[in-house]
Amino acid sequence: MKTSDLLILVLLYINASTEWPTHTVCKEDNLEVYYKSCDPQQDFAFSIDRCSDIATHTFNIRGAIVLRHNIKELYAKVDLIINGKTVLSYSEALCEPGHSKLIFCGKKKGEHLYYEGPVTLGIKEIPQGDYIISAKLTNEDHVTVACADFTVKNYLDYY
Amino acid sequence: MPGLLKMSQIRALSLWMLMVVLQLVLVPSQLAGCLLNPCLEVIPNKTFSCMGLNVSGVPAEIPHTTQNLDLSFNNLQSLGSNYFSSVPELQLLDLTRCHLHTIEDNSFKDLQKLSTLILTANSLQYLGTAAFNGLTSLKKLVLVETNIASLTDLPIGHLHTLQELNLGHNNIASLKLPKYFTNLTSLRHLSFLSNKITYISKGDLDALKEVNRLNLTLELSLNNIKHIQPGSFAKIHLGELGLRASFGNFSVMHTSLQGLTGLQVNRLIAGEFSDSEKLVDFQRGLLSGLCQVQMQEFILVCVRGFEDDTDTLFNCLGNVSSIRLVNLQLEKMSEVPMFSQVKQLECKKCKFQEVPATKLSLFKELRVLRITKNKNLSSFRQKFESLRNLEVVDLSENHLSFYSCCSPLFPGCPNLKYLNLSYNSIIRITGDFTNVKNLLYLDLQHTNLFGPGSYPVFLSLQKLIYLDISHTRTHVKSQCTFCGLNSLRVLKMAGNSFENNQLANNFKNLSHLHTLDISSCKLVQVDKNTFDALSELKELNISNNKLLSFDPVVYKPLQALTALDLSNNQLSVLVDSALGILPDSLVLLDISQNLFECSCTNLNFLKWVKEKQDLLQNRELMICHTPVYVKNMSLSSFDLHSCQLKASTVAFSVIALLAAAVFLFLIYKYYFQLYYSLVLLSGCKHTAERGDTYDAFVIHSSKDQEWVMKELVEPLEGGTPPFQLCLYYRDFLPGVPIVTNIIQEGFLSSRNVIAVISTDFLESKWCSFEFDIAQSWQLVEGKAGIIMIVLGEVNKTLLRQRLGLSRYLRRNTYLEWTNKEISRHIFWRQLTAVLLEGKKWNHEEAKLM
Repeated sequence: MKTSDLLILVLLYINASTEWPTHTVCKEDNLEVYYKSCDPQQDFAFSIDRCSDIATHTFNIRGAIVLRHNIKELYAKVDLIINGKTVLSYSEALCEPGHSKLIFCGKKKGEHLYYEGPVTLGIKEIPQGDYIISAKLTNEDHVTVACADFTVKNYLDYY
Repeated sequence: MPGLLKMSQIRALSLWMLMVVLQLVLVPSQLAGCLLNPCLEVIPNKTFSCMGLNVSGVPAEIPHTTQNLDLSFNNLQSLGSNYFSSVPELQLLDLTRCHLHTIEDNSFKDLQKLSTLILTANSLQYLGTAAFNGLTSLKKLVLVETNIASLTDLPIGHLHTLQELNLGHNNIASLKLPKYFTNLTSLRHLSFLSNKITYISKGDLDALKEVNRLNLTLELSLNNIKHIQPGSFAKIHLGELGLRASFGNFSVMHTSLQGLTGLQVNRLIAGEFSDSEKLVDFQRGLLSGLCQVQMQEFILVCVRGFEDDTDTLFNCLGNVSSIRLVNLQLEKMSEVPMFSQVKQLECKKCKFQEVPATKLSLFKELRVLRITKNKNLSSFRQKFESLRNLEVVDLSENHLSFYSCCSPLFPGCPNLKYLNLSYNSIIRITGDFTNVKNLLYLDLQHTNLFGPGSYPVFLSLQKLIYLDISHTRTHVKSQCTFCGLNSLRVLKMAGNSFENNQLANNFKNLSHLHTLDISSCKLVQVDKNTFDALSELKELNISNNKLLSFDPVVYKPLQALTALDLSNNQLSVLVDSALGILPDSLVLLDISQNLFECSCTNLNFLKWVKEKQDLLQNRELMICHTPVYVKNMSLSSFDLHSCQLKASTVAFSVIALLAAAVFLFLIYKYYFQLYYSLVLLSGCKHTAERGDTYDAFVIHSSKDQEWVMKELVEPLEGGTPPFQLCLYYRDFLPGVPIVTNIIQEGFLSSRNVIAVISTDFLESKWCSFEFDIAQSWQLVEGKAGIIMIVLGEVNKTLLRQRLGLSRYLRRNTYLEWTNKEISRHIFWRQLTAVLLEGKKWNHEEAKLM
């Protein structure tokens, strides 16, 4: 009986916490990619069309999220973290005032955002090894729109 | 049975325990849901946010005065009549993602003041015909992602005040505007973004014809238009028409644009998004339909596949006054038609490699030209010729490098006033500005420059008001660098350098300057007369340099100053005179990030800092650098009282020192008296033995008797402490041989022997006899010390004859009697000290004290 009580307690505890589950993007022999939302408000869906493509400069992704904030402007900041230290930092304006080059620019709170298309990395190719890529999208009010930590174990061969 | 009973008891007990545990766990969480997560009161009594709190209605705690209510991300399911009666003052109501499927009649009946209603992302299944009744002030209605398939049944015909209707991301297939749109006379913005519109037919937009709608924005982007029937837009006046990513391919777009015939529009936006799948390639004649459209401004975004030179981009844009080309893969400038009316042209993020000035010169009416953010644009050789109306040229954020700026590039452009060449690679400024001598504004920041600093290149820019050469690697060597800029109001030149890191007389002719930015220029020193001419200067930024001092003489001419930035230098203090010359007009002063010395010597400055809190900027960065014990402490939190305390300590220690000095002086003066009384107090009261009757036996020549009486006996026997001397003429016993007297009364009864050496002493046989005995006595007994007093000048030859004495004098310290006051003083101290040694005190003497 006592164990079942404990179990209930543990279940309730998990339910109450804001940690989102870790999702698997790729799991291949030489490449594993997982992600976990670091936005306490929500989780999101993400996939890479062909995992092996991430060894190239550009690859196709799909991502979906329900917006909690307007994205008249949208800025991406990507950090490469190895052993807890930020090694590389890259930022880009995805939606700028007066120039919405992407379809979803200008969407408002509550709207469904779905992106399907290429992602071009700021660096030549993603490095080999075990590391974390932390990505964060912020809007015109510097509010976090989406946030994710990608755990990458990359041992692909580069040609 | 008993066993079974016991089992069921145990089960009941544990069930009860589980209930208790569940209650313990669940009740607080429910409580937390109610109490810990109330709606956020953004503006008291007026704005509340209940976003994502899982409420199922208007929470009871929302006061009736509320004007803005955010109920998004909740679970309202359906709205019944008078649903919002508790909040009649509402102006904004956000019902985004509330799982609404039903909105019954009169749901918003009480919201007569509501101006914005957001219903985004609710898949509405039932919308009552009177659902929006009562919204007599509604200006903005957002029905994005609400599963609307048809405009016909939308019960909004009575919303006369409606200005913005957003129907984006729905399933509307027909643009046929129902009759009720004629009622929506205030409509300014109508969005069908990302719907299912495929065909636009004649008559669909008739409802827009009847009212004069010059300012209506019609958004049709992200539809899949297959055909626009010619005439559909005839006689329609629009403020803006959005047609991005609306057509499947080139031919559809080409024919559809033909259907815009007769449209009058202020701004037409066409093209694609960079991530839209169906990117339209540009082919000849794509925009030919636009020849029949009357428009002011045309914007083309994200189009690729331009064929060099042969495209017809501008063919039907000749009458447009403003063209913006954004993100086009346009490598060469398209053909420009004759008699173009284009006044403003912008090419942002295009693919030019060379500034297409020759072709652009055909836009004879061109007034504003902007070619920006072209990554490949590096060459500027062609000339802008005879563009008499050209006023603004913005070529910033390219990769330009060219060597003949600027006159040769603009022949016949006499009205050029604004030239922006910032954020490029390398530009050589030749100093020839003859064709553009009316320039008012010149921005060259973040472009490596050759010319300025070395030569007076700006000589002919007499009218220039604004010059920015920040971060251009300019090294100011020439005193005449800014000569000619007699009208200049603003000079920005941060991030450059000056000869010897020193400001000399560089700004002497800039008497109208209002703003000067010389931050980050590695400046170490500012010469005395640097700012003499700048009496109109209002803003001076001299931050991020290495200035060690703020010299009041230098800054005194700046009497019109309103803002002064001295941050991030190496100032340790602003001295009193510097604080005195700061003009009254000053409203912003930044002295943060300097190396302040927080010691009491700078008390006035530290006081001033406390008084001028309103004036000083970035106060949190004003911190002490020295001394070490206050390092990193905020300047304003320096305790001024600690300085006053220190003053008192200083005074105290001075007083203490003085007292100690006086005390020591007193001890010095009354040393023997004190010593004597100390001895008396210590209770040392032995009776003097025989042999110690006298303190000293005085050997002297009878001829020196007068001196002995006056200078020796009187002070010693009459002073404090008193000494007893043995004198032959006074203390020798009569009737006893002289030798016995000398031995008995002299040496045996005395502790010391005083020999008064004079010329007479040397001549006297008795004296030498006595001295010899004294010497041997000293040798045998080791007792009596011989104190030699040499009286004045002693005949050296006589002394030499008396070998024993002469040797004794050489080997021992002796006292010398002279006429000088100070020497006598020392004489007395030494003598007294010697006599005191070993003196034993008796009762009588103590009593005498």
